[in-house]
Amino acid sequence: MSGDAWERAPLGLLRLDADGYVVAANETFVGWQPRCAGSPAPAEVPGRRIGDLLTVGGRIYWDTHVAPALAMAGSVEAVALEVRTVDGPLPVLLTAATDTADPTAAGTVHVALLAVRERAEFHQELVRARLAAERWADRLHWLHDATAGLSRAAGTAQVRRALVDAVCRHPAVAEVRLSHPGDTARATVRRTGASTFEVGVAGTAGSHGVLRVRVHDRPGDLPVDVDALDVIAQQGGVALDRARMHEQSASVAHELQHAMLTVDLPRHPGLRLTAHYRPAEQGLEVGGDWYDAFWLEPTRLAVVVGDVVGHGLQAATAMGQLRTAVRALAVPGRGPAAVVNLVHGFVVDRHVGFGSTLVYGELDLATSRFSFACAGHLPPLHVQALGGCAYCWQGRSTPLGVPAPLARAQGTIDLDPGDTVVLFTDGVVERRDQSLPEGLNVLASAAVAHAASPSWGERLVASDGDARDDACVLAVTWRPVR
Amino acid sequence: MRVLGRAGGPTLVLAHGLGCDQAMWHRVVPLLVDRYRVVLFDHAGSGSAHPGAFDPSRHAALEGYAQDVVELLEYLALGPVVLVGHSVSATIVLLVAAARPDLVDRLVLVGPSPRYVDTDDYVGGFSAAEIDELLATMESNHLGWSRAMAPVIVGNPERPELGEELTASFVRTDPRAMRAFARATFLSDNRADLARVRTPSLVVQCREDAIAPVAVGRYVHAHLAGSSFVLLDAVGHCPQLSAPAALVAAVDDFLSPARLSPAGS
Repeated sequence: MSGDAWERAPLGLLRLDADGYVVAANETFVGWQPRCAGSPAPAEVPGRRIGDLLTVGGRIYWDTHVAPALAMAGSVEAVALEVRTVDGPLPVLLTAATDTADPTAAGTVHVALLAVRERAEFHQELVRARLAAERWADRLHWLHDATAGLSRAAGTAQVRRALVDAVCRHPAVAEVRLSHPGDTARATVRRTGASTFEVGVAGTAGSHGVLRVRVHDRPGDLPVDVDALDVIAQQGGVALDRARMHEQSASVAHELQHAMLTVDLPRHPGLRLTAHYRPAEQGLEVGGDWYDAFWLEPTRLAVVVGDVVGHGLQAATAMGQLRTAVRALAVPGRGPAAVVNLVHGFVVDRHVGFGSTLVYGELDLATSRFSFACAGHLPPLHVQALGGCAYCWQGRSTPLGVPAPLARAQGTIDLDPGDTVVLFTDGVVERRDQSLPEGLNVLASAAVAHAASPSWGERLVASDGDARDDACVLAVTWRPVR
Repeated sequence: MRVLGRAGGPTLVLAHGLGCDQAMWHRVVPLLVDRYRVVLFDHAGSGSAHPGAFDPSRHAALEGYAQDVVELLEYLALGPVVLVGHSVSATIVLLVAAARPDLVDRLVLVGPSPRYVDTDDYVGGFSAAEIDELLATMESNHLGWSRAMAPVIVGNPERPELGEELTASFVRTDPRAMRAFARATFLSDNRADLARVRTPSLVVQCREDAIAPVAVGRYVHAHLAGSSFVLLDAVGHCPQLSAPAALVAAVDDFLSPARLSPAGS
C-alpha cells in the first residue's frame, strides 16, 4: 500500500505488535483521536495498547475474545466495537489479520476499522429485536408448561401443586409457596422485597390464596417475567375454580351413591347377607357399581348387583333410577328373566343406563332354590358348604338396552344348607396385574377357603391402593331353620 | 472431554475461561503431554459441550460450573488432580477446591479475579456501567462472531497429531449460555471464597493484563493461604497463547517434587 493510500484510506488502519501495542496508525485513525488538553493535536497513538483506544466494553472484549481468536485463527472479521474519538464513542467494524507473509514481522497484526455509525444503529435494532424475540419465546415456553401442568391436574390439591410447580419451573425462581385459600393479595404481581414477589390467585368465589415467590438473584439469572407470572396466577385461579366445582359435583355423586348403597339388608334367622363396596381410588369420579336386596314375599328374597356404564353424577342418578325400576318391576310370580326384560324395556324407553349390566336373583326360602338372570353381567358364584364351588353360566343374556336376540334366559340352582351365592362386579376380578380368567380363579379359591369367615367379602374388595375401578360384592348364605 | 498425555503422570485438568473453549490450551498441551496426563473439557454452553448440558438455573452462578467440574472429577476418578483454571475458571476451580478438597491436589490460577466490579474499598478494575457496556458489546457480536470464527483446525507444526484433535470451535457458543456465563463471570463476588480454600495454589499473573490487573492477582495471593505468586513477563489476559513456555515453566516449578510440602497436604 502506498503511503497516501495508507494514510488517507477511508478506514482507520493500525499495525500492532504481537502484544497488541500500536506500531503505526494512519491519518484517518489519528484524526478520530481526542485532542490533548490545551492542544489542537490529536493524542499520540503509537505505543498505546489497542484496548486503550476502545471503549471499556471493547477493551474487555478485545482481551477475552478478539485477541484469543486472532492468536488461534489468525484473523477476525467484522467485530462490532467502539473507538473512543473526539466526538465520543464511534461504532466500528474491526477486521484484523496476523501477518503471515513477512517472516521478519512475526506476530504483527493488521487492523482495519470501518466507521459504521448508521449501520450500528440498525444493528442495535436487530439486537434489540432478537432479545425481544428471545424474551417472548421464554415467556411462551413458561406459559405453555404452566398450562399443560394445570390442565393435567385433577382436584384442588393437585392443581395447587401443579401451580406451584409451574412457577418453580422458571430458572430464576428459588422457592414458591401458595398460601391457604382466603388469604388475599392484589391479582397483579407486586414486589415485596429485594428478591420476593407476591400475587393473589383469585377465584370467582373468593381467593384461592397468594403465590409468594422468592428468586435466586444470582448474577446469571434472567429477570422473572412478571407479566407471565400474572397470567399463570390467573390461569391457576381458573383451574382451581374448575377443580373446586368438579369436586363439589363429585361429592354430590358420592353422597348419592352412598345413600343408595347403604340399604338395610333384609334379616332372617337362616340367612346371612353381606354386602361390600369399595370406590375407585384413582380420580374423583364415582363408579357405577351398585347392589340391593329386598323381600318380594315373606319367603322370597330378591338380590341384585349391577354396574352402570359411565361415571360421575350421571352414573349415580342412572344407578338410582335402575334400582328403583328393579324394585318396582320385581313382583312375586314374575321370575328373574321377566324382571330383567322389563328393566331392559325401562332402559330403552327412558334412555337411562344404556349398556349397563346386572345380575338379578330370587331365593325361595321354602325350596332353597335360587333362580337368576344375568344381563351381560359376570355370573353368580355358587360356593358349596361341603366344599367346592362353581360359576353359574346359565341364565345369560345381553346388557340392558341391547336387544336380546332370543327371550331373556333364566338359570336355577338348588342350594344345600349353608351354601353361599356370591354376586359381584368386574372390579373384584379385574386387576391390572391379572386377566379375567385368572381373577375368576382367584375369587373362586378365596371363596372356598374363606366363605365361613364373616369378613371375607371385605377382603375380596380390598385393593393394593390404586384401583382404577370400583368393586362390589353381595353374598347370600342360606341355612334353613327348622 | 479429552484425556491426553502420559497415562502414569500427574493429572492436570485445564479449565478454559469465558468466550472460548478447550482449544484455548492448544499451545501449552504439546509442552505438557510428555510428563503429565492432561484433561481438557468445554464448560456447559461453550465449544462443543452438549447443547443440553447448559441449564439456565444451574449455570446462573459459578457454583453450577464448579459442580460440573466436581462431577467430571468424580467420573474420571483419577485421584486428586491439579486443577488449572484460566480467568473465570480460576474462580470456578477455587470453588471446587473449597467444596471438595479431596478431589484437588493443587490449584493453578491463571489471571484470577474474584470480583471484577469496583467497590468502595476494592479495586476490581471495572465499574458496573463498564461491565454493562461489555455485555452490550457481546450482544452485538454473537452474529458477527460466528462468521468471523469459521471452524479452523489449530495447526501445531511440531505435534500435528495434537493439532488435529484441537479444533477451534469458538463458533458454537450458544448466545443465551454465553450471556448467562458472562453475567455470572463479571457480576459475581467470590472474594470471601478465597478464605475457604486450603489447597496449595499458584497464582499466575501477566505483567500487563487489562482484565485481571496485577493488583488483583496480588490480592488473590494475599488472601489465599499458602499460595505462591508468579509474575509472567507477558502482556494480555491469555498467557497460554502469548507465553505458553513461560506458563508451563511456572507450572512445572510449582509442581516439582522439591516444592511439595513436607506434610504432604
